[in-house]
Amino acid sequence: MKKIILYILLVATLFATDLTIEVKKSVTTLPSLAIEDASITYSDSFKMRFFKALFADMNVLSLFNVDKHRRLTYFKATDVVVENKDKDYVLRYKMFEDDAGKLNVEVKLIEHANTVFRKNYKISKKSAYVFLAHAIAYDVNKYMGGEDIGWIKRRVVFAKVVAPLKSEIVVSDYTLTYQHTILKGGFNIFPKWATSRQDAIYFTSMDGKKPTLKYFDIRRGKITPVASSEGMIVCSDVRDDGKKLLVTMAPDSQPDIYLYDTAKRSFRRLTTFSGIDVGGQFLGTDKIVFISDRLGYPNIFMKAIEGSSVEQLVYYGKTNSACSVHGNYIVYKARESSNIFSKNTFNLHLISLNSDFIRRLTATGINEFPRFSKDGKAILFIKNYKNQSAIGVIRLTYNKNYLFPVKHGRIQSLDW
Amino acid sequence: MKKTIFSSVAVAILLLSGCSSKQPAVDQKSTETTVQQEQNSNAGEAQEVATEEVSSDMQEVGSENVAKSQTNEMSMEELQSKFKTIHFDFDKYNIRPDQQPLLEEDAKIAKEAPAELKIRLEGNCDEWGSDEYNFALGLKRAKSVKQGLVAHGVDTKRLTLISYGESNPVCTEHTKECWAKNRRVDFKVLP
Repeated sequence: MKKIILYILLVATLFATDLTIEVKKSVTTLPSLAIEDASITYSDSFKMRFFKALFADMNVLSLFNVDKHRRLTYFKATDVVVENKDKDYVLRYKMFEDDAGKLNVEVKLIEHANTVFRKNYKISKKSAYVFLAHAIAYDVNKYMGGEDIGWIKRRVVFAKVVAPLKSEIVVSDYTLTYQHTILKGGFNIFPKWATSRQDAIYFTSMDGKKPTLKYFDIRRGKITPVASSEGMIVCSDVRDDGKKLLVTMAPDSQPDIYLYDTAKRSFRRLTTFSGIDVGGQFLGTDKIVFISDRLGYPNIFMKAIEGSSVEQLVYYGKTNSACSVHGNYIVYKARESSNIFSKNTFNLHLISLNSDFIRRLTATGINEFPRFSKDGKAILFIKNYKNQSAIGVIRLTYNKNYLFPVKHGRIQSLDW
Repeated sequence: MKKTIFSSVAVAILLLSGCSSKQPAVDQKSTETTVQQEQNSNAGEAQEVATEEVSSDMQEVGSENVAKSQTNEMSMEELQSKFKTIHFDFDKYNIRPDQQPLLEEDAKIAKEAPAELKIRLEGNCDEWGSDEYNFALGLKRAKSVKQGLVAHGVDTKRLTLISYGESNPVCTEHTKECWAKNRRVDFKVLP
């Protein structure tokens, strides 16, 4: 995987554009795929919503040139619909409600009149239909031999500000289509997955006398305080085994990064700079990457957990105030315009600790909250462009970005 | 008093087996493309499964205490309104020269206020930041104000700090003037 990304780093066009018109360069070489709907129950609007979700996921696979038309047919029809005769693949599905009220979907993938893949899916809550689309996409991708996309089934947790000092914490799928509020009322921010199973989060509660870091066991509905600090306290990163956290807090009004041992319940201060040190991320087992204004503006730095020397990692961008780390790769948000408040201000960039190359990942709008997938093969981010917000997923191997427009309150923080 | 509503997400997907595989021809040219999905406007389908309400038993309060409490609250509110909000430049947390006289006035008000009252300095930012950095920036602004007040004789023990990042705007338009208003430290008087 790393070799593939490195290869792309070398060949990627620096100033690629987000414009859809660029698709023309590659669509002709991808196999064509059409989607046929053979559903019998459910309303037309719901059928259309499911089709759109499946259409989007099939695009995100980056394996097909997907036909945008929804063609109606019978599931058992021997031939594909006439408009799809020349397609390389046809994905046919039938939605129906069973006696228990569950949403069932039968799926088959047809390649030149032969059914090459077939599977049935079921989900109890109809409103969570988008997870079925993601599961179908996962399986079709696997059948086609595409790069693993386990991340498509993972959930996103985010905080949204609904009014000044009022927020909600929401769990959703990666497109933010299915949203489930898990914490409502009060001012709770900076949610972070606490376990790889995604059944608990850390978050900051701002409702008490001091900001307090809390642990929320979502399955049991149990909230436990971890620590408090004057000024601010935020869980920035959770080590893969969940035993160590990087926490930004300011017990003496000074924001610094601390290492928290969940077993011993003890903190250890890792940075001592008199300015701002925040956003610590684990880099391997013995280093951290973090944001600091030690050069007079926010930028990305690295230090060993046991050492004191600090190394600047990024030499491009004027305000590099957020990043995400996976392996030797760092994706960061950079202000590129010299005019502080101009449009097209913040873009995402990818760097590798093994080379000096910088790959620009976005080209328009304000792009923020970059988060690597668990396997490092995709990056989730929020794009604000022309008064619209969208959640984007960047597939690094295929060098493609996909955007899903979202309507919601202002996102304060998110984790994947 | 806050109300917490929580529930867990339970998504059960029945998975059956797949078949053989076939690799398609994939173009890996370095083009960045965007495919947009039109999403349903009522995408938010959060369901509140369980509701936990904190009981709110009414307590009898003596009329004398109520009267006293109201007086204190009124004077605290009055006092709070006297403080001048301190504003900052983009991405900065040093006190601007034009804000220095305001800070001196604030120090005077703080010193003249009853010594038992505490003052919380609330740091805020504009929307041009993200995540933790903005919260830290707000905190550093509050700390600068604290240092200025202490330098002018205010007892450090009376001062507490908090940062709200960009989450507590006083102005929500997307203009330079509006952003400038949000880069500030407010004063909150606490008993």
